[in-house]
Amino acid sequence: MAMTKTQRRNAFSAFRYLMLTFWLLIVAFPIFWMVSTSFKPDSEWFAWPPVYISENATLQNYLVVWADVSEYATNEKGELQTYTQSLQRPWEALGNSAIISVIATTLSVLFGSVLAYGVSRYQILSEGRMFQLLMLRMVPPIVLVAPISIWYSSLGLLDTILGLVMLYFLTTLPYAVWMSKSFIDEVPREMEQAAEILGASRARTIWEVVLPLVRSGLVATFLFILILTWSEYLLALLLSKTAVVTLPVELSKYQGSTEGRVYGRQAALSVGITLPLIVVGMIIRKHLARGFSFGMVRR
Amino acid sequence: MSRIELVDLRKEYGNVVAVKAMDLTIEDGEFIVFVGPSGCGKTTTLRMIAGFEDPTNGEIRIDGTVVNEKEPGDRDLGMVFQSHALFPHKNVADNIAFGLRMKKVPQDEQAARVKEVSELVRITHLLGKMPAQCSGGESQRIALARTLVTEPSNFLLDEPLSSLDAKLRRELRAECDRLHDELQKTFIYVTHDQEEAMTLADRIIVMNQGEIVQQGTPMEIYSDPVSYFVADFFGNPAMNLIDGEFAKSGDGMEFKSGHFDIPLPAKFSAVTSGSGTLGIRPENVGIGASSGGATIEREVELVEPLGKDTLLYFETEEARPFVAVIEGTEEVKRHANVTINFPDDAIFLFDANGDRIR
Repeated sequence: MAMTKTQRRNAFSAFRYLMLTFWLLIVAFPIFWMVSTSFKPDSEWFAWPPVYISENATLQNYLVVWADVSEYATNEKGELQTYTQSLQRPWEALGNSAIISVIATTLSVLFGSVLAYGVSRYQILSEGRMFQLLMLRMVPPIVLVAPISIWYSSLGLLDTILGLVMLYFLTTLPYAVWMSKSFIDEVPREMEQAAEILGASRARTIWEVVLPLVRSGLVATFLFILILTWSEYLLALLLSKTAVVTLPVELSKYQGSTEGRVYGRQAALSVGITLPLIVVGMIIRKHLARGFSFGMVRR
Repeated sequence: MSRIELVDLRKEYGNVVAVKAMDLTIEDGEFIVFVGPSGCGKTTTLRMIAGFEDPTNGEIRIDGTVVNEKEPGDRDLGMVFQSHALFPHKNVADNIAFGLRMKKVPQDEQAARVKEVSELVRITHLLGKMPAQCSGGESQRIALARTLVTEPSNFLLDEPLSSLDAKLRRELRAECDRLHDELQKTFIYVTHDQEEAMTLADRIIVMNQGEIVQQGTPMEIYSDPVSYFVADFFGNPAMNLIDGEFAKSGDGMEFKSGHFDIPLPAKFSAVTSGSGTLGIRPENVGIGASSGGATIEREVELVEPLGKDTLLYFETEEARPFVAVIEGTEEVKRHANVTINFPDDAIFLFDANGDRIR
């Protein structure tokens, strides 16, 4: 029997929600698993059948990772053994990550948006050049690591905060230019000209007319790049060794020949890596909704 | 006193010539309308006067001073844009006060002038609102107020009404006229709408392909077009223009087209033979043999009563039908055979290049 229009619409709607729910489960499950594991005692890390929500939830993982509480564990012979955390420095890594990603992201958005303004208004880069700029991002980072580490070692930039800041700033600049350009393009030229003919200087026009209109877009760009730099692993791993450790690199230290596979601790650290981004996202969510929906300027 | 002179003004974009060697003097207090089809160079000219485009060649003088090198804000101009270009993040009062703030007018005077000017354009009730809360017509009034408040000597208006619907357009057209009367300042207005040009202008500048093709009062342009282009552009319904040929016929000349052949009035007896166009305005077409010109018999294809007038359509081989306007009180039936009359002094002739033959 043929469906009526309403039935068809409902069926389609049901299907859509089904697909979205399915998608949500796939995306959300790793996050759920991370949070869940972070509260599990070590006996449940590898349990089979898996423990989804622990009945013996503990803060032990967090205490060990973040509060440096020494811990005793039983080894395979059943003897108590001190578990050392000598290699792990999560707070230092958090500090490094915060400094490096915030500085690099700020520089990237600052320079990127200025460049984007020039491209949008004065065509200082041709379309071909803009594409080349984006192509920089198409080079696999691993290809760059060898030449850059040689270069960095002779410049004394290996294993330094400055070295990573410079690298993150330069590698994210193309995104910053492209993203902020799309927001600046949204501001009609005529709006600036209206300000100009009313006697506003160039700087004044940018400050009073352009900037307020692209602010949300720049905030969205900032968060996007912050996520990139905050979670960057490869370059940080290979260009910094011991003196400067970032959070993703720190995270990798919880799996290795000396440490074993300490999933609970790793999950506790992962939650600590994720939370700051979520908090930042919450604080600026008003801007995000506007920034990512574009077209706030009524024409 | 503020006179704007354009001297040998030219603008090229790469290989494209947008404005060709324009010379024009705009007197103080004049209402000038630049009109022409899109791409004719009218907006480019306006933007050069405003200072947003640098001329490739030539000078712009305001009050005798060359302003080519002056910033837009230093030219004593106000401009209203097609898109209104209100600042969406500032409320209406702040939008209007913007120019005053840039000119460092004291706060209390700013407030007084914003109030005064918003009374002038009747938007006092909108002052606290954001631009997004205002309708198109209101936005244009706000844009006008924002321009008026800085009291420039010259107003540039770039198709200010083209984004509005027909009724609002008429309303704001009247408003522009009233403001011009009240302020006695120079208005330079760009439009592609011949009706706006006719109703507003002291002087119409008709442009086509980067050149001024004719300038004059609206009535001069209407009744004495210099070319096919101008004749076709002005008037609603548009002038009937029939392509055909001028040929000798006895002592005089006649006009032959696939549609009809008529003898031409005696004043055209010296016209050279060859192809050309005959034009007659719909309101000058006589129906019924009365006014003494050449006549033809035709069947009425369509009757369109508009109340005061009635439009009669006749089939032609041209892309558009031949139209006649008659009084609404006269009654003509569809498919009736009528006599179409071409009064001698209503006939325009254009040569193969589109130039008027007098």
